[in-house]
Amino acid sequence: MRPALIVFAVAAAAQWLLPLWGVWRHERVIARGTVVRIECGAPDPYDPLRGRYLAVRPLESGFAPPEGMPEGERVPVWATLAVGADGLARIESLSLEPVAGPTVVQLAARSPRSDRNREAVIIEWPFDRFYLNERLAPDADRLLAERLAEDTRPVAEVCLLEGRAVLTDVLIDGVSIREIVGQPRK
Amino acid sequence: MSLLHNRWLADQLPGWEREGIVTLDGARRLRERYPVESARGLAQMIVGAVGALLVGTGLVAVLASNWDDFPRWVRLLLAFGPLAASQAVTWLVLRRGEAAKGWQREAAAVVQTLAAGAAMALVSQIYNLPGRWTELLFWWCLVSLPLAWTLASQAVAIAYLVGIAVWTVAEAGERGPWGAADAADVRIWFPILLAGVLPLWPGPSLRDRPAIGSRLALAASALVGLFAVAAHASNDGAPGEAGFWLAMLSSVAVLLFPLSRQGIAEPLARKPQVQLGGIAMIAMAMVASYEAPARGLVNSVGNALPLPWCWLLVAVVACFGVIAFRQQRYAVLAVAGLALVPPLAAGFTAGDAGGWPVAIAYSLMLLATAIVLIALEFLGRQGAARIGAALITLLVILRMADADVSLLAKGLAFIVIGSGFLGFNLFISRRRAAALGGSSR
Repeated sequence: MRPALIVFAVAAAAQWLLPLWGVWRHERVIARGTVVRIECGAPDPYDPLRGRYLAVRPLESGFAPPEGMPEGERVPVWATLAVGADGLARIESLSLEPVAGPTVVQLAARSPRSDRNREAVIIEWPFDRFYLNERLAPDADRLLAERLAEDTRPVAEVCLLEGRAVLTDVLIDGVSIREIVGQPRK
Repeated sequence: MSLLHNRWLADQLPGWEREGIVTLDGARRLRERYPVESARGLAQMIVGAVGALLVGTGLVAVLASNWDDFPRWVRLLLAFGPLAASQAVTWLVLRRGEAAKGWQREAAAVVQTLAAGAAMALVSQIYNLPGRWTELLFWWCLVSLPLAWTLASQAVAIAYLVGIAVWTVAEAGERGPWGAADAADVRIWFPILLAGVLPLWPGPSLRDRPAIGSRLALAASALVGLFAVAAHASNDGAPGEAGFWLAMLSSVAVLLFPLSRQGIAEPLARKPQVQLGGIAMIAMAMVASYEAPARGLVNSVGNALPLPWCWLLVAVVACFGVIAFRQQRYAVLAVAGLALVPPLAAGFTAGDAGGWPVAIAYSLMLLATAIVLIALEFLGRQGAARIGAALITLLVILRMADADVSLLAKGLAFIVIGSGFLGFNLFISRRRAAALGGSSR
C-alpha cells in the first residue's frame, strides 16, 4: 500500500472517530441516564459553524466552595443534584473528588476574581446551548423573552449518567419549546 | 533565470522539439535544469475547488434546511452518509495515482473536507454539545490537513491556512481576564499548526513549491497568526504592552523568510511574504513616526524582553537576517532594519526622554530605506525604485499634513510631490523598457 493511501486511511478514520466518539458518549447518556430539570435563562445567539441556538444558562451559577478549593484555578468538581418539590434539580453539594450517583454531574468551578465574594465559587455547567431550526429560532427567542417578562423561567431537561450531562430539551411551563414553536418533539 | 522564464522555456520546448531546434535529450536536460511549478496550476485548482465547494455546501444546506424534521438516527445518517461517500470517491482518486487529474484531486479533497466538517458540526448540533466554535474549527483543520498532503490539494491547504489563522486570532482573543479559561496557548500551537503544511511544501522531495495563490495564503496566515501570537504573548506574562515590537519582529520574520536562488530572482509580485511583511513593517514604522506611538513602541521593547517568545523571534530574525545578507537581499534587509530602531532607542535614550527622538529617527530611517531601495535598482541590484519613491512621497505627505504651514503651501507642496512621483515612475518605466530591449534581462 502506498504511503498516501495509508495517510488517507488514517485521516478518514479520524474523520469518523471524532464525531462517532461524541455520538457514542452522548447516546449512552440519553439512553441510560437520569433525567433532571434545571431552571435557566436562554437568550438566542448564533454560532458561525453550527447555526442558531438558545444559550442555556442555569440560574444556579455559584455555590459554596468545596473543601480544599484552590485559589484562582479552574478545576473540575462533582455536583450532586437534589430534586425539589417543584420538580427542579438544584445543587446539593460540591466535591473536588469524583462521587457516584444517578444525579451527579461533573462541572468546572473557579474562585471569583474579586475578593468581595469568597463564600461562593463560580460554576460552569457542561451544557450551554440548545440548537434550533433557523426558521424557528427567532420565534423561540421572542417567546422566551415574553415569558421571562412574565417571570416564567425556561427549564433545561438534562440526562445524567456517570457524571456526564446531555441537554435534551428546553421546556416552558413543562412543554418543549420545539412543540410550542411548531416543531415535533424528538 | 526566474520561474517566469522557466515557465516560458517550458512552453517553448515542445515546439522547438518538433522543429528540430533541440533534441529530445537536450529538451529533457533543459527541463531538468529549469524546472517549473506543478502543471496543476491555478485554473485546475479553481475548477476542482469551486465545483466541489458548490456541491458540498449545497448538500449541507439542503440537509440543514430540513434538519429538525428528521428523527435523530436519520440526522446521524445524513451527517455520516456524505462523509462515507466522499471518502469512497477520494479512495478511488488516490488509487488512480498519477493518472488522476488535478481537478479531480482538488474536488475530492474539498468535498471530503466539507463532509468531515459537516459531520462534526451536525453531531455537535444534534447533541447540543457545548464549547466554542473555535474548538470545532481546530479539529476540522486537523482532520482535513492529511487530504492536502495525500491529494496535493492547494484548495484544502489554503482553507487550512485560513482556518488556523482564524483559530489563532480567536484563541488569542480569548486570553486575558475576561476570556475563556480553557483558551489554547497559541505560542505553542500556531507554530505547530503552521508546520503542518511542511509535508506538502517543500514535501518529501524538498522541492515542491506552492503556487502563487497558496503562497499568498501561506504568507498571510503566517503574518496574521504571528500577530495574534504577539498579542497573546503581550497579554500573558509581559509587565506591560509588548505587542507593538513583537508585531514588528513578526513582520520581519515573514519578510526575511529564506528563499532559494530561483525564488530570489522572481519579481516582487510573486513574493507575497515580502509584500505583506514589508507593508506591515513600513506601516508600523510610519505609525511610529508620531510621538505617542513611538513612546509606546520603545516601552514595548522593555516589556517584551522578559518574554521567551520575544527571544525566539529575535533568534529567528537573526538567522533569517544572516541568510538574507549572504544572499545579498539588501532591499529586504533595508526594510527589516526598521525594527532595530526601538531596541537601539531603548538602550540609548533616557527613560523619560519621550517619544520624539524615536519618532524623528523613524522618519529619517524611512527616508534612508527609501533611498536604499531606489539606489539598489540604479546600482544594478534587486531593488524597488518605485516603492522607494512611493515611500518618500508618503512620508512627505505625512509630515506636510501635520506641519504648521498654510493650506496654500501644503497644496503647492502636494502638487510638486505628486508631479515628481509621476515623473519618476515614467522615468523608471522607460529605463526598464530600455534595459529589457537592450539585453536579455
